[in-house]
Amino acid sequence: MYFTPKESMSVLRIMAPVKQIVLAFLLLTIFSTLKVNAGELISLKGKVTDAAGEGIPGVSIQVKGTLRGTLTNADGNFEINVDQPGALLVVSYVGYVTQEVRTNKQSSLNIRLVADQKQLNEVIVVGYGTQERKNLIGSISKVDPTDVKSIPAGSFDAQLQGKVPGVQITSNTGVPGETVTVRVRGATSINADNDPLYVVDGVFINSSSLQTVGTGGKATSPIADINPADIESLEILKDAEATALYGSRGANGVILITTKRGKFNQKAKVNLNVSQGVAKAAKLWELTTGPEHAQLVNEWWINTGKDTPSLNRTTANRPFRPVSEGGRGLPEEQQTYDRLGQVFRTASLKNYDLSVSGGTATTKYYLGGGYNSQESILRPIDFNRASLKFNLDQKISDKVQVGISNTFSRTFRNQARAGDGPAGGLLQAALHTPTYLSPYNEQGVLVGRAGFDNVDLLLENYDVKAVSLRYIGNLYAEADILPNLKFRTSWGLDFNNYDENEYWNTFLISGSPDGLATASNGQATTWINEQTLSYRKKFGTKHTLGILVGNTVQSNVSTGTSSTGRGFANNSFKLVSSAATTTGSSSWSKSNLSSFFSRIDYNYGGRYLIDFSIRADGSSSFGADNRWGYFPSVGGAWRVKQENFLKDVSFLSDLKIRASYGTTGNQNGLGSFAALGLWSGGSSYQGGAGIAPQQLANPNLKWERTNQFNIGADVSFFAERLGLEFNVYQKNTSNGLLSLALPGTTGFANYRSNAAEISNKGFELAIHSVNFQGKSFTWNTSFNVSRNINKIEKLENPLEYGSRSLILQQQGSPLYSFWVYKQLYVDPQTGNTVYEDVNGDGKITIADRQIVGSIWPKFFGGLTNSFTFKGFDANAFLAFSYGNKVYNHNKFFGEGGGARDAARIIFASNNDRWQNPGDITDVPRPDGVNVNNYRDGGSRWLEDGSFLRLRSFTLGYTVPVRKISALRLYVTGSNLFTITKYTGLDPESSSSSGHNEQGIDLGTPPQPRSVQVGINITL
Amino acid sequence: MKAFKYILATSLIFSLGSCGNFLEVEPRASISDQQTIIDKVSSETAIRGAYDSFRSYYSVNLQSIGYLSGDNIQWTGSQSQVQEFINHSVNAENATISGVWNGIYTTLNRINHVIDKVPAVSDPLLTDALRNQIVGEAYFLRALGYFDLARIWGGVPIITKPTLSPQDNRGIARATQAEVYSQVIADLELAEPLLPATTDRFRATRKTVWALKARYYLYQKNYAKAEEYADKVIADASYKLVKPYNAFFANDARGTEESVFEIFYSINETNSHRGQWQPQQNGGTRQWAPNDAFVALVNDPAIGGTRNTLVAKDNQNRWYGNLYYRSPATDPTFVIRIAELYLIRAEARASLDKPAGAIADLDAVRERAGLAKTTASTKADILLAIENERRIEFALEPHRWFDLVRTERAAAVLNVNDPNKLLLPIPAEQLLTDKALKQNPGY
Repeated sequence: MYFTPKESMSVLRIMAPVKQIVLAFLLLTIFSTLKVNAGELISLKGKVTDAAGEGIPGVSIQVKGTLRGTLTNADGNFEINVDQPGALLVVSYVGYVTQEVRTNKQSSLNIRLVADQKQLNEVIVVGYGTQERKNLIGSISKVDPTDVKSIPAGSFDAQLQGKVPGVQITSNTGVPGETVTVRVRGATSINADNDPLYVVDGVFINSSSLQTVGTGGKATSPIADINPADIESLEILKDAEATALYGSRGANGVILITTKRGKFNQKAKVNLNVSQGVAKAAKLWELTTGPEHAQLVNEWWINTGKDTPSLNRTTANRPFRPVSEGGRGLPEEQQTYDRLGQVFRTASLKNYDLSVSGGTATTKYYLGGGYNSQESILRPIDFNRASLKFNLDQKISDKVQVGISNTFSRTFRNQARAGDGPAGGLLQAALHTPTYLSPYNEQGVLVGRAGFDNVDLLLENYDVKAVSLRYIGNLYAEADILPNLKFRTSWGLDFNNYDENEYWNTFLISGSPDGLATASNGQATTWINEQTLSYRKKFGTKHTLGILVGNTVQSNVSTGTSSTGRGFANNSFKLVSSAATTTGSSSWSKSNLSSFFSRIDYNYGGRYLIDFSIRADGSSSFGADNRWGYFPSVGGAWRVKQENFLKDVSFLSDLKIRASYGTTGNQNGLGSFAALGLWSGGSSYQGGAGIAPQQLANPNLKWERTNQFNIGADVSFFAERLGLEFNVYQKNTSNGLLSLALPGTTGFANYRSNAAEISNKGFELAIHSVNFQGKSFTWNTSFNVSRNINKIEKLENPLEYGSRSLILQQQGSPLYSFWVYKQLYVDPQTGNTVYEDVNGDGKITIADRQIVGSIWPKFFGGLTNSFTFKGFDANAFLAFSYGNKVYNHNKFFGEGGGARDAARIIFASNNDRWQNPGDITDVPRPDGVNVNNYRDGGSRWLEDGSFLRLRSFTLGYTVPVRKISALRLYVTGSNLFTITKYTGLDPESSSSSGHNEQGIDLGTPPQPRSVQVGINITL
Repeated sequence: MKAFKYILATSLIFSLGSCGNFLEVEPRASISDQQTIIDKVSSETAIRGAYDSFRSYYSVNLQSIGYLSGDNIQWTGSQSQVQEFINHSVNAENATISGVWNGIYTTLNRINHVIDKVPAVSDPLLTDALRNQIVGEAYFLRALGYFDLARIWGGVPIITKPTLSPQDNRGIARATQAEVYSQVIADLELAEPLLPATTDRFRATRKTVWALKARYYLYQKNYAKAEEYADKVIADASYKLVKPYNAFFANDARGTEESVFEIFYSINETNSHRGQWQPQQNGGTRQWAPNDAFVALVNDPAIGGTRNTLVAKDNQNRWYGNLYYRSPATDPTFVIRIAELYLIRAEARASLDKPAGAIADLDAVRERAGLAKTTASTKADILLAIENERRIEFALEPHRWFDLVRTERAAAVLNVNDPNKLLLPIPAEQLLTDKALKQNPGY
């Protein structure tokens, strides 16, 4: 029962007569104006431009004290009649400071409007509507993504780090286009997703990776399919008042992405932006030389021989003894081979965006094309995206408008395993192979060492490619069915096709002995249909009432097919079809959601604002008894400044106090069939089909519920030159979705239940200041800082995650807490590590493992300063995080003191080990793997991940050129410096995309330092 | 406002139409657990599912406990859990023991479903012979599951009913090791008459039951019974010591006459075991490898003989184990080979003071390996010769550790002086999730 576009057009054609009537009315009005003013008037012409010198259409020009007025045309030109030479014109346009211009004898006026720094009238996109900032009740941050667009990251979310109070963004990696961790006011779930909901032009888009190829725990980001250049604005909905209308998908915040559209009555505007640049790692790891490595291994050998005589390890049979004695040669005879230099490179970055936008009286359009190509600093990884954007809006009559938004993109990735894992592990092979080991064997053949692939062979033969094709589109029709009643219906589609091909030839571990190819295709399709009816009316002079009702129906289908081939005639054959043996598999899942929602808001005299909203969501993923969930919220605001007692306080421009309380839900990441008791096929034996129990039923499975209380204040001073926004919140999540561990004796590892409770509380402060605003010089500063305190309130049994169970989820501690043996010191007499004996039993056992810190910072935020001086502009953006911990897992492997012998690298920092009684150091003498000094989960490698980073610095110059609206040249640098105590390369590195395994840095390239130059031309 | 009416009507119809079945989405890759074992076909598929389940721990984990804890294998990788077995200091957090524990109980649940439901299936196509066979196989498999539980952990909870809800089969205290072994023999006794005396090397038959009984009685030191059941299998012409030694595994061999019971793998049902053994040049990790002592022994023509085909050298001059080598990874898991029955009977006979018979059985195995006859003559020497023979014969199969534990020789041979270490710890997370479980002493 779709309403096809064709049908809707024919319906809308009925509206045509209405349009004609309206036109007639308009003409009549204009004629009557002309008639009244005919005669003694002076005609005046002029043009209104913006700071860049570009004409602004639609600007209102009014002769002060009269009713006479006009609008600028598509070029920004206007013509108006005044009755005397010294008349005063009032020039106003949304988003710009209103100016009064005195006319004199000149017949042509050039008026340059200055962008309004005042924010109160700024239009903010909210759930299913828009609001002026002054009337906001909820906590919503609007981000202008312009300044950060040149930060080299595949996806716009990575670029927003430090920009939004309450939103913690961690880049995780230097590989462009991989997933970024985005947390809006903390995390609410252990086994469901903690990612916010992304809504692009009304379409709930998929943000879960479709990657199936193993890249060591990492996953590609579907958000990277969107070209940041097409984004007009981003609104981040944080509190319950703002998110409750998204019901079961709103608990982790909502990011509303509005793409660029044309403007009615605007002549075609062409914008071209070209930039190119380079990126490079700011630093690399410091490793031991071959002789140093050998020396340490010998020490370990002799030490362990002393500790355990039965091992028969003595100086005489130490590994690095003369070759003549059967050893590997003396330490000083060892060579040093550099592998890091082979894999890291100076990467090239390119970006091209071209757009055309404009509109007539009834049609507006935006057409944009973009191409972005980013090499990773780690060879041979690269990322490129070609995108096309086409938005069109058409007024069919003055009451009916239809439109469409389209995003098409193709994202190509040349991938490599930049993460954990031996086979194909690129960075691990380069970093973790001992430096003394030659890449060649005795026969002069390239060989992998220490269990890893040979780096030369990897670089030469890596062949893992992924192509994502994405369409995000939305078709809408809206009609003013009564003067105050608007109906809108829309159909949206998010379609993602993800194609992967791997070929591992016989030179690589994965392809040995006779080649391996895989081909897989995944598709994620979401369609959504939505109707809203909104009513807004002012009663009398003081009462404004708004009512919104609506429904949505949506369906998500994910499918995947994959095939694997082994056994190739030679390395020239690369497709599964050429393989001797092939296997295949497929997957399918579907979930449906049906929802109804309503919001009622009331505004008394612009002083008291209150609203109430509720959403009902029915989901196919839950037990039959719990299909429907209800998510109400209530919010209120008091604009204190509007009260009489503050009216005359001139330095105070605005003061608003807000509060809200409401409920949102979460079901993402749960799986479509989690509530059902199931048996699966696929347990075949001897080629005959087999079946087996898969999961136990839980008919009670239901939503995660998050209740959130928010109280905040917005205050601004000095004609809004200084603005502050402050929020305090408390979020309590109950019925947390959890894979509750079952005893093994049941034959099941776990079952899905609602068993966890998690809380987040915190504050957010944002300050915006116009420090200086002169004719030729301006200086603006914005600053934000947030704190979130996360705590697991209820969890029956602790859950271990990550390599060596480094992360423990435990009741009473924050999510993602590090679980370690706390190293107190290295005994200067013995050289042995002394750990805290938590239970005081004189032994170090698992019972002495304790939680020491977590990935959560105590504070995080950003500071932006922007300047303009005549044609120059500069923008410096610092991001910071304080108090978060990172587990330096690379260093864990690299500071084993030789205990892993030829199996692992030793870092240069290990040279500071204890050697003689009296040595004071925190690096103990070498013993064995996981014995005492080199214990799995030791706190020695748990480090402070605080940082202050110059995220971006941009310098631009707008060249005054005739015939071109604007021409700007710029140079921009990112990550130019990072101040941190972290001894790894990047405190944001995380080797896994799994949210329960964050903050473990292993085999991950750092975010690069980059410099780009660009040119931006507007015609 | 006709347009609005059309639009509204359409969207209303659409929305209302979506309320009913719209929220009921059935999976396609799975079926409801309400309708599982109901006819002949589902009975057959359910028992196959039980065999398949053995792959979850018989591919690598259980195997590695058996040989890593012995004295033939060294660890070369990065996961220290492997070294814990070699050092005989296994932590309760060790992922391998957790994998085996969960693997066995998951398998037992599949088996218990078969035992519980197949006898009640009413389907004329399900003949009594087939029904008996399926149920008999399930009893055999359950015996194998509990046998491994008992020899690894001692006493464990005995579960004989399927799990239908999260409340089932939990909070059950550990039985004693003797009780678990009683469950093993009880299940074998039930299986024996139900199964046909045919030969099937990939599935259980009456002969497979005899073979496991022989091993069971050897562990119980009931040498007469051990000899009796080993006799029955060896006497069967279907089983032979194939020659040369590597004929049972080389050149992609599977299901040879050597094999009494092996777990079947194919391209679609792969065995990841090779990955642990094979060097990088063959696509493996060589996470563990034969140690210097074993390499010396197996390459000694008087000790290893033709069994030196168990090891090979890679392109970096390193030795690796080569029993599991196939690509694609279809190596069988050898659960019971006829060589084991010979050595069981040899040990039983030696213990029963029948040295001639013992020597004959031992020499049968030695002869197959291209070795001279044993020089052992006293009972003690013969038993030691059998022990050493088993060390080489089953070097890459899970025997060495269990052998030295059951013969109480672990202290003398492996320096495991703490008797508590002869049993492995109950996995730590099991103690957390089930308070009825108590840890083994010494952990």
